[in-house]
Amino acid sequence: MAVNELLAQLHEIATSPKKQLDKYLAEGKPVVLVAPVYTPNEIIHSMGIVPMGAWGADMELNEAKKYFPAFISSIVQSILELGMKGEYEGVSALIVPSLCDSLMCLGQNWKYAVKGIPYIPMSYPQNRKPAYGIKFTRAMYRRVINDLTVATGKHYSDYALKDSIKIYNEHNAVMREFAEIASTADISAAARNDVFKSAWFMLPEEHTAIVKQLNEELKAGPKAEGKVRVLVSGVLADSPSLLKIFDDNDIKVVFDDVAHESRQYRTDAPEEGDPLQAMAIKFANMDNCSFLYDKDKKRVDYIVEQAKAHDARGVIVLMTKFCDTEEFDYVPIKRACDAAGLLNLNIEVDRQMVNYEQAGTMIQAFKEMV
Amino acid sequence: MYTLGIDIGSTTSKAVILKDGEEMLASSIVIATVGTDGVTQVIRNVLDESGIKEEEIGCTVATGYGRQTYEGADYQVSELSCHALGIHHVFPGARTVIDIGGQDAKVLSLNEQGRMVNFVMNDKCAAGTGRFLDVMANILKLDISELETEAAKAEKVASISSTCTVFAESEVISQLASGTAIPDLVAGICQSVAVRVASLAKRVGIRADVCMSGGVAKNGGVREAMARELGVEILHDENAQLMGALGAALYGWDKVKSVG
Amino acid sequence: MGEEVKKKSRPAPDPNSAKYKLGQIAAKAYTDAIEAKARGEMVGWCASNFPVEIPETLGLTVCYPENQAAGIAARGGGERMCNEAEGEGYSNDICAYARISLAYMKLKSAPEQDMPQPDFVLCCNNICNCMIKWYENISKELNIPMYIIDIPFNPDYEVSEDEVEYIREQFWDVIHQLEDYTGKKWSDERFKEVMQYSGRASRLWVEATSQAKYVPSPFNGFDLLNHMAVMVTARGKKEAGDAMETLLKEYKENHEKGESTFRAEEKYRIMFEGIACWPWLRVTSTGLKSRGINMVTTIYADAFGFIYDDFDGMCRAYANVPNSMNLEHSRDKRVKLCKANHVEGLLVHTNRSCKLWSGFMPEMSRQIGEACGIPVVSFDGDQADPRNFSEAQYDTRVQGLMELMEGNKGGK
Repeated sequence: MAVNELLAQLHEIATSPKKQLDKYLAEGKPVVLVAPVYTPNEIIHSMGIVPMGAWGADMELNEAKKYFPAFISSIVQSILELGMKGEYEGVSALIVPSLCDSLMCLGQNWKYAVKGIPYIPMSYPQNRKPAYGIKFTRAMYRRVINDLTVATGKHYSDYALKDSIKIYNEHNAVMREFAEIASTADISAAARNDVFKSAWFMLPEEHTAIVKQLNEELKAGPKAEGKVRVLVSGVLADSPSLLKIFDDNDIKVVFDDVAHESRQYRTDAPEEGDPLQAMAIKFANMDNCSFLYDKDKKRVDYIVEQAKAHDARGVIVLMTKFCDTEEFDYVPIKRACDAAGLLNLNIEVDRQMVNYEQAGTMIQAFKEMV
Repeated sequence: MYTLGIDIGSTTSKAVILKDGEEMLASSIVIATVGTDGVTQVIRNVLDESGIKEEEIGCTVATGYGRQTYEGADYQVSELSCHALGIHHVFPGARTVIDIGGQDAKVLSLNEQGRMVNFVMNDKCAAGTGRFLDVMANILKLDISELETEAAKAEKVASISSTCTVFAESEVISQLASGTAIPDLVAGICQSVAVRVASLAKRVGIRADVCMSGGVAKNGGVREAMARELGVEILHDENAQLMGALGAALYGWDKVKSVG
Repeated sequence: MGEEVKKKSRPAPDPNSAKYKLGQIAAKAYTDAIEAKARGEMVGWCASNFPVEIPETLGLTVCYPENQAAGIAARGGGERMCNEAEGEGYSNDICAYARISLAYMKLKSAPEQDMPQPDFVLCCNNICNCMIKWYENISKELNIPMYIIDIPFNPDYEVSEDEVEYIREQFWDVIHQLEDYTGKKWSDERFKEVMQYSGRASRLWVEATSQAKYVPSPFNGFDLLNHMAVMVTARGKKEAGDAMETLLKEYKENHEKGESTFRAEEKYRIMFEGIACWPWLRVTSTGLKSRGINMVTTIYADAFGFIYDDFDGMCRAYANVPNSMNLEHSRDKRVKLCKANHVEGLLVHTNRSCKLWSGFMPEMSRQIGEACGIPVVSFDGDQADPRNFSEAQYDTRVQGLMELMEGNKGGK
């Protein structure tokens, strides 16, 4: 298939999660929602359940206001809003990890706001690297497995998890390769996002098959010329209006540190040994993320290194309004970029944004500065 | 060669005609927002004033929030770059530009050549923008242009601390009710805008000369409060509001020059 | 935490009074830290709900940034310090305690409350995850070690064995790391002693605050907001227990004599939910007192009840602090306090600085209101940034609450 056809296919999936949900349900596969930022998707997959991303949607918040004060991020609020409005009907459960204060609140509110869909907590340790941290992660994965069995009637086996780990590791590798190819290939910011976003609504093996083809086509295709090369960082970068501004201004995303995108694919679970232990080790090995305890702020150096490695002129931080986790990291990121001679821009975004004029002005001015 | 710069802002449209990138032949400000015929009006004004015919204009550059809605432009450039160019033309020594407009506040950092090297803009909140001043002037039943003279009469700066416009409104009303003098309140309101924008300015770093542009720069109350907050002298030009349009006309000249 | 805004000139306090003793202990925490630093000793910055048993047993001097931020805010420095942090690039949506503390780290002095700069930080996230981000930034900026005891938010009602084990292992890990870094040594004997002091202070605190069961209450609940500073910073010290004993004695005497530190006729009794609005302490207190509303209890009455018998019990206690419990457990603790103290209304501070505390409060307070049959009213505010509070809104909401309580009385 040609690049355009492959991208059109992924765009269709990225923009119609409901259709994907109905498709999997019709195939007799139970679906479980996974909230940001990290969840043990390999485990869910191995139990014969489809994990589907729940990162909210660009929408007005009405119902969720009954539960959340205004100063909770619109990603978290819109997940609840969608749940309350019945958009997730048919799914068997929602897994919410304990990775920020607002996510903890989401779980508590969900229990009362969305009665038909059980909430499954995943308590991650922040002291994830020492042996006791790995042990705790493993124990909490056990708990998720039990809750999933109750919610879906599906059972866990080590054999199946070993297979799923392989499938996910292959998907990780394909997505990492895509990010590198997209760094030079002629692909729009919007299309690049479709590739990442569609992954949340598909089984990994299906997504891998398409992205593999896409990678081959892109490698052989034309290279992007005359663009302003930037690294994008943030929780989420999927707003079509915002991505259009990137494309209209010839801003090229050459790499990302976006939680919804590349941060998901950096770390593989070991394929040898006890698979549940391997999953806990995977979490211990994850790094360079605002949601994971990082006393040396290695993430900051990582962003600068990656920007340089991908020949970026600057770093654009898409700051999710009210995401304090990311807001704390912004100051050291800004300082490190300034010191490294990287232009940097902080654009506040949220899922209720209707007016993109200021963002447009900032991006245009950023381009004019280069 | 004549170039035309048009700055289509959220509350006013501004235009400047420039001869050879140097001499300002005409300028005009029309109070009208994006989507009205303010743009047509402001262009007619400068053409009439300068006696130049539309076809004699070598290059037209649009800037401001409405820049994309105006189809007659050869180029459209962000108002940040235009303010930088305009200010640099008037104040070659300016290294920091603080621009407070109707909808947003921005702080620009310029290098020796007058090129913008860094900038920050306000977050999603009206505090620290012209909009905040409008709301407050409205409560005090003052025209926005009266704020400066009122602030000058203040004996003591009233404390207005709320960042939320709705909260600040009730703060002002309750101070009014408890007998705080209007000039003191106005000074407090100007101070509140200055404090918000000053902390924004500190993010890019303050380097002299510091210059204010945009509509709010006309308000001496805010300028003085800003000077106090930052501890530096604040330069400003009578034509502060025209800096964006002037920068646009300069941008046009630069383009024509490099092509021709 | 912190102290009440500018006190009017009053007669010199009685040095034998609980108020005086507690004030002395809270002030001494700062002077001790300043003196220790001057002697060349290491000083740490410590999260308010970090197990105080660890630095106390090791003989380490620590001070408490949350307590300092509250103090700075109560004395009018909140806006200045927040602006300073915002100038550095910190969003004004970030917790105001954190903003004040990050500003202080840069300025290194504040006329409202000084504190020595840290040689290490002790972090515990049982009150919020924001704590981790805040301390990470301090540790990185000052290039000093950070020690963390991670206590995840508990989605279940009870603390699991898995969690106790995870916490216990971290305790020993942090203790050993601190021994290496500071050269101090852990002693089981000393730990037992500290545990006894902490247990005694905690039991007396719980008992003193429970004196609000009497109608009228022998104290004004705003007292607790000040006195709890001692429970935060000094509960592992013997003096804390002594002062709490005096406090309990005074409250009992007040009850017997029909007196109270609530200097008005107690017409209504409420529970206050959330951290105090330190920059507006007097306004929030007067708004209640002028209407005869006594805030008789808060979750703080329960929060510092660190009562346990052994090491695992201690781990469990630190996992059962207010912001680490699930909605049901948090709700039940509050319902119990409301019922025990004859509470007639709930006033909720929707605190812009605290996402975790405010993020499921609308649902939880609805449930508390239903369980106790009391009206619930909330207002917008902030623990330390004065710009997020409106006096007019507060006044209207409090009056509304009063009218609802009045209606309930009429209906009875």
